[in-house]
Amino acid sequence: MTEINKDPLLSVRNLGVVYETSQGPVHAVTDVSFDVQENEVFGIAGESGCGKSTLIKALLRLLPDNGVATADRCDYRGSALMKMEGEAFRKEILWQEISMVPQSAMASFNPVYRVGDQVVESIQTHRKASRAEALERASELFDVVGLEPGLLKSYPHEFSGGMRQRAMIAMALSLDPGLIIMDEPTTGLDVLVQERILRRIREIRAELKSSIILITHDIAVIAEMSDRIAIMYGGEIMEQASTIELFENPHHPYTLGLKNAFPSITTMGTELISIPGSPPTLIGPVQSCPFAPRCPFDDAACHAANPAATEIAAGHVVRCVNYENSAQFRSLAKEKSTWLS
Amino acid sequence: MLDYIIRRFVYTLITIVAVATILFILFRMLPGEPTMQVISPAMDPAVQERMKKAFGLNEPIWKQYFIYMKNLITLEWGRSFVSAQEVTSILSYRFWNTILLMAAGMCMTLVLGIGMGIIMAWRRNGAVDLIGTVVGLIFQAAPPFITGLLLLMILSYNMGFFPTGGMYAPGNRPDGLFDLLTTADFWHRLVLPTLTVGMYYISTPMLIMRDSMLEVLGSDYIELARAKGLKSRVIMIRHAARNALLGVVTIAGIMIGFAVGGQVVVESLFSWPGMGQLMVESAAQHDYPVAQGTFLMLAILVISLNFLTDVLYSYLDPRIKITAKGLS
Repeated sequence: MTEINKDPLLSVRNLGVVYETSQGPVHAVTDVSFDVQENEVFGIAGESGCGKSTLIKALLRLLPDNGVATADRCDYRGSALMKMEGEAFRKEILWQEISMVPQSAMASFNPVYRVGDQVVESIQTHRKASRAEALERASELFDVVGLEPGLLKSYPHEFSGGMRQRAMIAMALSLDPGLIIMDEPTTGLDVLVQERILRRIREIRAELKSSIILITHDIAVIAEMSDRIAIMYGGEIMEQASTIELFENPHHPYTLGLKNAFPSITTMGTELISIPGSPPTLIGPVQSCPFAPRCPFDDAACHAANPAATEIAAGHVVRCVNYENSAQFRSLAKEKSTWLS
Repeated sequence: MLDYIIRRFVYTLITIVAVATILFILFRMLPGEPTMQVISPAMDPAVQERMKKAFGLNEPIWKQYFIYMKNLITLEWGRSFVSAQEVTSILSYRFWNTILLMAAGMCMTLVLGIGMGIIMAWRRNGAVDLIGTVVGLIFQAAPPFITGLLLLMILSYNMGFFPTGGMYAPGNRPDGLFDLLTTADFWHRLVLPTLTVGMYYISTPMLIMRDSMLEVLGSDYIELARAKGLKSRVIMIRHAARNALLGVVTIAGIMIGFAVGGQVVVESLFSWPGMGQLMVESAAQHDYPVAQGTFLMLAILVISLNFLTDVLYSYLDPRIKITAKGLS
């Protein structure tokens, strides 16, 4: 664990994002720290509205005008992303170094241009390449993601959802970026297509040297794909560990709750338990653990202050005041009555 | 694509036939005999009868209709009751004058309006946005006969920058279109009527463009374009404006139709020898063949422009082809 912490590809410390709204400041992301290593899949999981998408928008500087991101550190291969001059960031980082597969591949292609031209556009924006060379590269990429190169001439509306997702992945690969951010890459696709896309992502990852940040609300997908996982709730990372560690030795009550809410093969037939309540609105300053109102194990300390992140083992970080009681939580969390009381 | 255009073309033809039919009925419903201008009630009834026969007016109505349609197609549009000139030859001269003025007005409206719309959306809630909206709406609220008169009063009568009207100096009628277009005087005289048309219509493409730009700018493909690291100018023009244009093209077709009607006012105001002025003159003089021809010509113009808009739209939006196939 100590050796992978050397020279991470992306290193983020204490990243926060605040949206100014008419109802006051919304703390969409608070105190988020993580590292992404070279050639690693880093999964970020959490419910809708937990700040996953805001987090990546902050990394790519795509926040709307009312959103402000701050961080103690946000380094990509040694360059401070937040301090870079806008034009340099656009030219050297965007797509060239960090590309993304957006949440809605359906709507992320411009409907009036051919898919091939949109791939060519992303290549020609950053590289001096003739149209023919760029098209050549685009057909290679289509081949990589398992699409007929002839489809480059098609318009987005002529593609199925799965095809658009593949084309989007092809476009994200076009400049061999160091990091690809995939925001819910398989949401809205049927299970078979989903499986095919995930397999393709795994193959690509084996061939290329890119790292991937995989964002999803689907625990099954993230468990299958990621090397390390961060669990987000209310704009904060609640627990972060390697995939095996997180599933075998979970500490945070929210992680336990999430695990309960998804079916697994070994516990087939047992009833799924959901976490009652709904995510916090995040309006105003954070003064307690954001999960405390829904947590079955909350006590006075949880409501008094927002707990700090604690590294309980190498690479395993938990944000819970009562992390020492996790063994007890783990056994209690299996009972439905624990969550209903 | 071709399939779609052909079908649109057939619809266009059907619409023109329908308009011609309505015109036929309308002119026969007008109070008084349409022939009163030519056949004086003071004439001997036998002569009246003979003249009616010469005009084919004693035939049953359905037969008159077929003769009328046949004449329309063979371009036998009759002669003016007033000048005895062929209607088609009067129209062919007037038609181009109207087209020139309209083209100038619409070019100004669309180019400036779309450009302004892009800037207003780009700098939304800024000074340009606010001023553009207010000024555009004031211009739209002021009828062209008021703005036109004001322009004439200030720029022409008081300051003397422009002539008060007409397309050329009296006695200086150019021979043919080329001669006209190469005369500086013509362009000079074109300025005020163009401004009048432009001011009245500019708010439509401007505000539509602004709104559809704002809508497009919120879409996922714009966010992806930003993530791709495209220059903001490229995003604005190639992605946002290009897609927002679709909304403007739809409106432009309708707007140009209105503008053809508005042409009547502008041409009368600036003594522009176009079809709008001709329509007013011929109606005032009960010159029915000319009035009928002018109405029909203007209708054909509007319908053809709508056809062109549809074709342009299908070129701008590749999705339309599929829809067209799906509908047929």
